[in-house]
Amino acid sequence: MVMKAKEYYADITSVYKKPEDYELAGKGNAYVRVDAEAKVTGRAIYTDDVYLPGTYYCKLVHSPYAHALIKSIDFTEALKLPGVKGVLTGKDFPEGHNLGNPEAFKELADKEPLCRKKVRMEGDEVAAVCAVTEEIATEAARLVKVEYEPLPVILDPFDAMKPDAEPIHYPNPSKETASNLSIFTTMKAGDPDKAFAEAYYTDKHYYKTQEMVHSAIEPHGAIAKYENGEWTVWTTTQGAYVSRYWIAWGLGVPESQVRLIKPMVGGGFGGKLDVFAHELCPCKFAQMTGHPVKCILKRDEVFKCTRTRHPISFEIESAFTKEGKLLAKRCKHILDGGAYGGSGIAANTLSLICATFPYKVENIDMTARRPYTNHPASGAMRGYSACQVHFAHEIHMDEVANALHIDPLELRRKNEITPYYTGPTGLEFTSCKFDECLVACADAIDWKHRDKYPVGSGEAVGLSGSGFMSGTGFPVLVTPHYCSSSTIVRLNREGYAVVFTGANDIGQGCDTVMTMIVAEELGLRMDEVKLVNSDTTTTPWDAGSFGSRVTFLGGNACRRAVGDAKLKLLTHWAQEWNCKPQDIKMKDHRVFVEGDAEKNISYNEACFGYEEKNFGRCVAGVGSFAHEGDKDVYVKNVGNYATAYSFSASAAKVKVDMETGQVELEDFVFGHDCGRPLNIRAVEGQIEGSVLLGFGFSCFEECVYNKDGKHMNPSFRDYRFPTALDMPHIKTIVCSEYDPEGPMGAKEAGEGSTAPVGSAIGNAVNYATGFVMKELPITPERLWRAIKEHQRTGKTEFGAEDLPKKFAEMPPLPKRD
Amino acid sequence: MKRIINFKLNGEDVEVLTPDNITMCDFLRKNMHLTGTKRGCEEGECGACTILLDGAAIDSCLMLAVEADGHEVVTIEGVMKDGVLHPVQKEFIDKWALQCGFCTPGMIMSALSLLHENPHPTEQEIRDGIAGNLCRCTGYTKIVEAIDSAAKIMEREARS
Repeated sequence: MVMKAKEYYADITSVYKKPEDYELAGKGNAYVRVDAEAKVTGRAIYTDDVYLPGTYYCKLVHSPYAHALIKSIDFTEALKLPGVKGVLTGKDFPEGHNLGNPEAFKELADKEPLCRKKVRMEGDEVAAVCAVTEEIATEAARLVKVEYEPLPVILDPFDAMKPDAEPIHYPNPSKETASNLSIFTTMKAGDPDKAFAEAYYTDKHYYKTQEMVHSAIEPHGAIAKYENGEWTVWTTTQGAYVSRYWIAWGLGVPESQVRLIKPMVGGGFGGKLDVFAHELCPCKFAQMTGHPVKCILKRDEVFKCTRTRHPISFEIESAFTKEGKLLAKRCKHILDGGAYGGSGIAANTLSLICATFPYKVENIDMTARRPYTNHPASGAMRGYSACQVHFAHEIHMDEVANALHIDPLELRRKNEITPYYTGPTGLEFTSCKFDECLVACADAIDWKHRDKYPVGSGEAVGLSGSGFMSGTGFPVLVTPHYCSSSTIVRLNREGYAVVFTGANDIGQGCDTVMTMIVAEELGLRMDEVKLVNSDTTTTPWDAGSFGSRVTFLGGNACRRAVGDAKLKLLTHWAQEWNCKPQDIKMKDHRVFVEGDAEKNISYNEACFGYEEKNFGRCVAGVGSFAHEGDKDVYVKNVGNYATAYSFSASAAKVKVDMETGQVELEDFVFGHDCGRPLNIRAVEGQIEGSVLLGFGFSCFEECVYNKDGKHMNPSFRDYRFPTALDMPHIKTIVCSEYDPEGPMGAKEAGEGSTAPVGSAIGNAVNYATGFVMKELPITPERLWRAIKEHQRTGKTEFGAEDLPKKFAEMPPLPKRD
Repeated sequence: MKRIINFKLNGEDVEVLTPDNITMCDFLRKNMHLTGTKRGCEEGECGACTILLDGAAIDSCLMLAVEADGHEVVTIEGVMKDGVLHPVQKEFIDKWALQCGFCTPGMIMSALSLLHENPHPTEQEIRDGIAGNLCRCTGYTKIVEAIDSAAKIMEREARS
């Protein structure tokens, strides 16, 4: 019998503070972010703010073609420019050391640090230059002459799957089956055919979502130095250890020779998970020149060369009883993978998992395909796959409700996940307040009186629900490591503690959460806990900030580490005081047995006493947390994906200008089940940001390409996301229940919360207009065209018109070995 | 071409030789080592590089350093006075009006410009005042709240 983590850590758990004794995590939350003062004074150091003496600058040379062969690269003119210090091509990196996610298939490590023979998207990196100033480097990059032989460009994922399509990575061995698939996933449970045959209601609907960019305000960048045979890299990353792994691999050196330090990161949202040329090239140049080398991307480079959110085309079939019980679902998800795999691989499986909840459905038959195209590489993005899936499936839910003449709220409540339910593919839910979230949102938006806005009147309310994994157990960029989060805590007799955490704060605030957990357990003030974070030399392993894993896994790891230290300290004093460790409390810088004045010492004395008895050894604890799941989930697609699941509901009140097609989001209510909120303002902040992202997704943002695959709007002027003037009043309702697995009862609060936003707005727009908008984004132009067409022809469904034919003609999947 | 410019930077007189073609944003960051002013888009869209030029908010990426000649410039580093945080800074901290913090310096500079011009802004006026500053993390709710709260504190302080 393999020992489970719970048993392993049982002693440690026994000295955890009891919920009724929480001070910081309890009512009031009277603490602020640990990085707030540095950020409001301009003192916080981000990657571009790291200035080292003698720094050189690196610029990348990008392909203007979306698909082409590289015939030659000529650096003659660039090298003539005074101040140029070096140039790089793909041949300067070891062959075969590609970057990516080889979790399911080794071919998925598909991105060369610099392209050697072929480019697969506009902006693909083909060369790099290094110079003494950023200006000279920019000029030199412009002078590099690259000769290309253009290849046919494939932008439509359905075109990419045609058996005879131009191969983007690998030739198709078959003449019948789908081509260019980076990965495909099937998921089946129950007997869907029987359920469909017996159902009162069945349907088939199509939906489509667009390509979106993370748009963190901080552009990507890195600075590297090379000293004593070792690289030190400061980079805009969401996972210091994962970036270090891929940088070392790309350079062809042992991980021990690369130190990665994550400075402040100006937002990630999934866009800073992968490893890029702008990180590898400065490393190579630093080694070549002996100088530190910096490479900061320009905004258009961020748009073209980093990562995007997968556009997904949906075919959804559902089967319901007359009373509205969901019997079965068949669906096909086609994800436009763009040119590469990387963090985007996981999107495929995730899109199916997301479709199996927050409603109970026992009979499913689902497939997801992720073909390569010549779009920029799609990757992870906040609400990973969930935003797209819950847009389609939640708009669909309202269509079903209306067809069955059931109130959409009631249809959701009839089918909602309940606590401790196990899904047909093995998802094991724990705490669940989904019903409370739905009801709270409906009440706050006055759902009961929604008929006061007649359908088509230009005003309406809409509702939506979703769920998300809390603390994903699986890597999105696999590395040969246990997908854990680890922490070390040291107690100092001078009256403070130091926490060494691998968790990566990218703006979401986990540095504050980790500090709070340690302070809470030890009875110290927040400023008596010193945090050392995200540095591969000083802090322990962490798999990165993704999949809503940081508070959940990192927080649990941190609590186990401080618990380990606390247990050692209290065991010592329990012996001295002839009591049990659990009898001793730590509060207000004191260590004491309640009501016993003899057994009451300062934190400093307690640490000193331990050290005295243990020949000077300090009190230290280590802890780690990982979801104990089935590692084959990518292949088998069954099993429990996370330790817990969060649930959300949204309600939107919109006003649509029936002349211009402009959607005004007048009011927005968000109900979130995040377990016990560790800081209410942090939770609200995450939700308010989620609403911005969801509103942008539903009504504003879309990357536009011409037929040659050229990005037409790579700037914030032409790719607009909501400003302060666009954002509505947001009401956050936390529907919490202490989760038994979460740190201090918490679940995730920042990622799943993006998922129900787009569909709540979409449903509201649909009632306001009397249409069904099946494709995002619902821009004024798209809605204006719909209004005009409706006036001309009476049509009421808009968008995704091309999909029925494309799905019908889709070639079959290849056989899996 | 280079030229010598004289201007006031965060209260100090500065005389410095600068190339004609460097933006104020790059000049502050690279030449003056004031990295609180952020480069977000370098085309006047995101507002992360906002500074005060003679009290008014301006995107420093759209301004050449030589244009500062004879003017007064305040960057985020010049907002804290005598070791005391400005009420706008303090309220950004207390209200959790920041997450990643990358837009925060620019956002605070726009707020200062707004409050300088209009000490009692309505919520709509606050939203107007920061409409040129993009934030991807917060949804602006807590930023608006912090600026509103700072305005009230500044009014109380002015009265007492």
